[in-house]
Amino acid sequence: MAMKKAPQPDLLALVLDPIDHVSITQHVRAAEDGAVVTFDGCVRNHSQGRGTLYLDYEAYETMALAKIREIAEQLHEKFPIHLVAIVHRLGRLQIGETSVYIAVSSEHRPAAFEACRYAIDTLKRTVPIWKKEYFEDGAVWADGEMPPAPPETRAANPAS
Amino acid sequence: MARCSLAGYNSLVTLPMQTARVKVLFFGRLKEIVGRAEDSVELPDGAPIEFLFSRYGAAHPELTPFRASLVASRNQEFAAWSTPLHSGDEVAFLPPVSGG
Repeated sequence: MAMKKAPQPDLLALVLDPIDHVSITQHVRAAEDGAVVTFDGCVRNHSQGRGTLYLDYEAYETMALAKIREIAEQLHEKFPIHLVAIVHRLGRLQIGETSVYIAVSSEHRPAAFEACRYAIDTLKRTVPIWKKEYFEDGAVWADGEMPPAPPETRAANPAS
Repeated sequence: MARCSLAGYNSLVTLPMQTARVKVLFFGRLKEIVGRAEDSVELPDGAPIEFLFSRYGAAHPELTPFRASLVASRNQEFAAWSTPLHSGDEVAFLPPVSGG
C-alpha cells in the first residue's frame, strides 16, 4: 500500500455507541474546504416486505478496520479531497439509528460527492461486517455481497 | 515434501510431517452453525484453506452448501482457497458482507 499520502487525520472507526453526526462532520471540515458531503446510512423499518424490529451488526473487527483504512487510502489516491471520516456502528441498532456515517471534505464539491459515493459502495462490498435483521416472526442474516476474492492457483492443490 | 492425502485426518499417519496450528474465526450464520466464534486447530503444515474448510464441513454438513458463497481470509486479507496455511495464521470464512 502506498504511504505517499499526506498525514491522515482521517477519522476511521468502529463504534458501539450512537454515532454523533455533528462532531464527525466537524472533524473533516476546514477553512480551505468548499464542500463537505456526508452519507448517513440508517436502519430502515422494513426489509423485503416485512416490518423490521431492529438489527444486530457484527464485524471481523481487525479486518474491517483494515479494509476501512484501505478505502480511505483509495479515496485520497483517486479524488482531490481533503479529509475522510468513516464510522460504522456495531451491536444492536433500532429503527432510524445511523449504522454508518461517512463525511468527505474537499475544495470543490464534485470530488467530495464522488468520493463519498465510492466510499459507501466499496464499504458495502469489501468490509467484513454483517447484519442480522429481526422481524416479528423471526430473524435472518441479511443478503450480502461477496467481496472480490483473489484468483485460485492450482499449485497448492496437488492432484490426489 | 511428504505426500499425504488431504481427504481426512485418519490418513495423515504414513509419513512424519510438520503440523501447523492456526486460529479459525467464524462470523454470522457460520458462527451459529459451528456453535463458536473461534477455534484453534492443528493441520499439516502447508495445507490449503480449502482443506480446513472441508474438515469443518465433515463435522458440520450444514456448512457445505455455503461454500460457494464464502470468501476466505488469511491474516485479515482476502485469500484464495488454495492458500497454504502455516503456524500462527488466522483464517476466517466470510459470508457475503452486509455492512452499511
